[in-house]
Amino acid sequence: MSKIGVFICHCGENISATVNCGKVAEVAGKLEGVAYSTDYKYMCSDPGQTIIKQMIKEKGLDGVVVAACSPRMHEPTFRKACSEAGLNPYLCEMANLREHCSWVHDKSDATTQKAIDIVRTLVEKVKHNKPLSTIKVPVTKKALVIGGGIAGIQASLDIANAGHQVVLVEKEPSIGGHMSQLSETFPTLDCSQCILTPRMVEVAQHPNITLMTYAELEKLDGFIGNFKATIRKKAKSIDEKLCTGCGLCTTKCPTKKIPSEFNEGLGFRTAIYVPFPQAVPNKPVIDKLNCQYYLKGKCKVCEKVCPTGAIRFDQEDELVELEVGAVVVATGFNIMTTSEFPEYGYGKYPDVITGLQFERLASASGPTLGEIRRPSDGKIPEKIVFIACAGSRDPAKGKPYCSKICCMYTAKHAMLYQHKVHHGESYVFYMDIRAAGKNYDEFTRRAIVEDKVNYLRGRVSKVYEENGKLIVKGVDTLLNAKPVEIEVDMVVLASAGVANPGSEELAQKMHISYDAYNFFSEAHPKLKPVETNTAGIYLAGACQAPKDIPETVAAASGAAAKVAILFSQNELSREPVVAVVNRSAPPLYSTCVGCFMCATACPYSAIGEEEIKDRKGNVIKKVAKVNPGLCQGCGTCVAFCRSKSIDLDGYTNEQMYSEVMALLNE
Amino acid sequence: MNELIQKAKSLLESDTVQVVIGYGKGSADKTRAIFLTKPEDCDQLLFDSRCVQNLAVYLTKHEIKHLGKPAIVAPIPVLRSILQLAVENQLKESDLVILGVSPESKLIEFDSFGAIELFLNAYKIQIDEKYKATIDKIKAMPVSERFAFWIKELEPCFKCYACRAACPLCYCPKCTVENNQPQWIPAASHLLGNLEWHVMRAMHLAGRCTDCEACYNACPMGIPIHLLTKSMLQDVEEHFGPYGPSVGKRNTLSSFNPDDKESFIR
Repeated sequence: MSKIGVFICHCGENISATVNCGKVAEVAGKLEGVAYSTDYKYMCSDPGQTIIKQMIKEKGLDGVVVAACSPRMHEPTFRKACSEAGLNPYLCEMANLREHCSWVHDKSDATTQKAIDIVRTLVEKVKHNKPLSTIKVPVTKKALVIGGGIAGIQASLDIANAGHQVVLVEKEPSIGGHMSQLSETFPTLDCSQCILTPRMVEVAQHPNITLMTYAELEKLDGFIGNFKATIRKKAKSIDEKLCTGCGLCTTKCPTKKIPSEFNEGLGFRTAIYVPFPQAVPNKPVIDKLNCQYYLKGKCKVCEKVCPTGAIRFDQEDELVELEVGAVVVATGFNIMTTSEFPEYGYGKYPDVITGLQFERLASASGPTLGEIRRPSDGKIPEKIVFIACAGSRDPAKGKPYCSKICCMYTAKHAMLYQHKVHHGESYVFYMDIRAAGKNYDEFTRRAIVEDKVNYLRGRVSKVYEENGKLIVKGVDTLLNAKPVEIEVDMVVLASAGVANPGSEELAQKMHISYDAYNFFSEAHPKLKPVETNTAGIYLAGACQAPKDIPETVAAASGAAAKVAILFSQNELSREPVVAVVNRSAPPLYSTCVGCFMCATACPYSAIGEEEIKDRKGNVIKKVAKVNPGLCQGCGTCVAFCRSKSIDLDGYTNEQMYSEVMALLNE
Repeated sequence: MNELIQKAKSLLESDTVQVVIGYGKGSADKTRAIFLTKPEDCDQLLFDSRCVQNLAVYLTKHEIKHLGKPAIVAPIPVLRSILQLAVENQLKESDLVILGVSPESKLIEFDSFGAIELFLNAYKIQIDEKYKATIDKIKAMPVSERFAFWIKELEPCFKCYACRAACPLCYCPKCTVENNQPQWIPAASHLLGNLEWHVMRAMHLAGRCTDCEACYNACPMGIPIHLLTKSMLQDVEEHFGPYGPSVGKRNTLSSFNPDDKESFIR
């Protein structure tokens, strides 16, 4: 005969407003096997927990049901309380009266009845609970950082400076990301490269950081503290040990007209290339898709000119397996290209450019060496229009969100233009100016007041070309919605920040969640902004949503702090809610028949083989075996097992069955 | 047929196998499974259109395994079952000798599961048009009518489990229905118990059934239980693409494929 205690929480008024908690406690007290039942205003409070502890001791309870909020909220609280009173924590169950009952129903007898039913099922379940003990797993104190933009750089440096090993993986030939492409940064107008490149060098020289460029995550298995990552190091076609980065090959390569990614297509690069002069590592890679040798089997000019003989045409992609304890995802973002705007010419007007292209024009390291010249004929634009919210806040473009950074960089662009083209005229079409941030609003005011940028509140309906000029048709809503038509030389679109292509596949590889726009989702929008729903995987920067540099750096340091906290422990305690393959009397030994469909179904690759042997060591049978360190207790294998040979500790078939039967046999 | 008998004889004589599983004369005008352990008995082997029983079912039976390594007479449905058993880690190539029988009653020897797969590519599982029409009719019924239909069809079932015994893929030593801690599937053959058993049986065969109809042939009450598995086969094909057992390929329902349409989720 069980001695179960039932504790009904009012949750202030969250539950008691619609559920008669006293009645629930009274009925629960009469259930078979219930030795004590009561209700209290805040069960999670210190006096509330004290009641539970006292009753465990006084009545000798062998099971506890706390009927309160969701177990996600307070199960650890109450299990800890039980444990402190000497009861195995896994003999404590929570009945969710708040989310499952009081919050979703009006006050009525039926609501109270439902609360009683929920409590009854849990009382039946707890009768079948068995004491479990936590599983200890070791922590591999090495972090994997995916993405070498400013987020990845910051996170890597912080983790490395905390004394832990870091592997930084970047898919491009150089780290630096979008920040390395920027000219100046708001709101201080300091040079982006000047503040970034020292950090890039620090990464390359840090003894705790292993840098893998031109590499991508192929596969991620395992769990917090014990991930196994497979990295594909794409063939660079050079021997990095021999290459000195002299750059002779890049000057002699005959394929010179490849649009440069770094310059956003405004400049050209060769087939063997270093993306930009300050690249880290400053060693070239061969772009196999454009190299004459790979395309036609002839050329090898680079091989001939290389003074150290570092060219390796036969190099192949290499797969590297890494054991890491934590992963920081810092894969960044991208922007909508001009071709996605039919109203602004589908990208066919060369002088309609994106904000990122403007950055390259304004950058001293850019194709025009920092002079604002339009791409079509290299003339300095006398009149320029900036269109804010190009794609952002536009459900018709599928991007109802605000890209957050555009208001600021548009003000910066207009300002830089005015600084460089003194007689020029600039216009900004905007919806609202969103300049919340330290010194941000002052910055946009400065653009308007000091630099005389003409801000027009309204949208641009159309941009078209006429006699070598771009005609911008818009509206100024502050002047009685008067239509405006401006003849300009160049148009800059503050195009929406979007998730990187391939982010959906990456999220699926890592089993982390992502939103409707393929940005990665945080575990909690307020209280867990850098965590994902998968323990041990953290987010940094704009892969989560468009973010500016300060916010990105803050998030990266936040993620790094989370990793450092994780690495401060030598082992982790894991919930013992894991699947177990049964054992039975000979000649069966286990009802498992070894079809291993559970192994293919397991999303965590936690199921392996086990040989059951006789005393002489002969294999009698091969059955499935669950690795408790890898098992996440999802129960997929349990559902798949036809012979019911696997059970989930804490949620056994018997427990589930008794819950269901309690509901059915009222 | 002589070819088959000679082959069986030589396999037993050379002790390559210890038992030959094949078809022999049964009562009345029927055929039945025979298990030959002596070369001189091999003349009893026969093969004709009456041989519809799926012999693959014996490959996993304890009583037969205990006789030693088998050779098995394998027309197409048996070949499919052998492949599926291999996919489910129940058979290894070295476990048996396959005496394949082509639709033209020619003996074909297979030295590997891969060779069987290659051969079967020409004989894809296809559901008969007449069954398709019946299934469509049942699927078009409103839920209550469909429920009533199955309750009525399954009423004669008295849980003899002949369907289970005949199915080569029901090889678990302890079936779900024999689990009584807890007893999810009621053992009694009342209306709901029958329904639960047959729905469970069909679900357990989803993505695995090779459409041999052994269950239907074995049912003493002639209940059309094969309609359930056939319908399931159609569903699997609709949602996950053409289906057929393939060694090395993961089971349709226990594995995730990024190309899966998932149209039933989104």
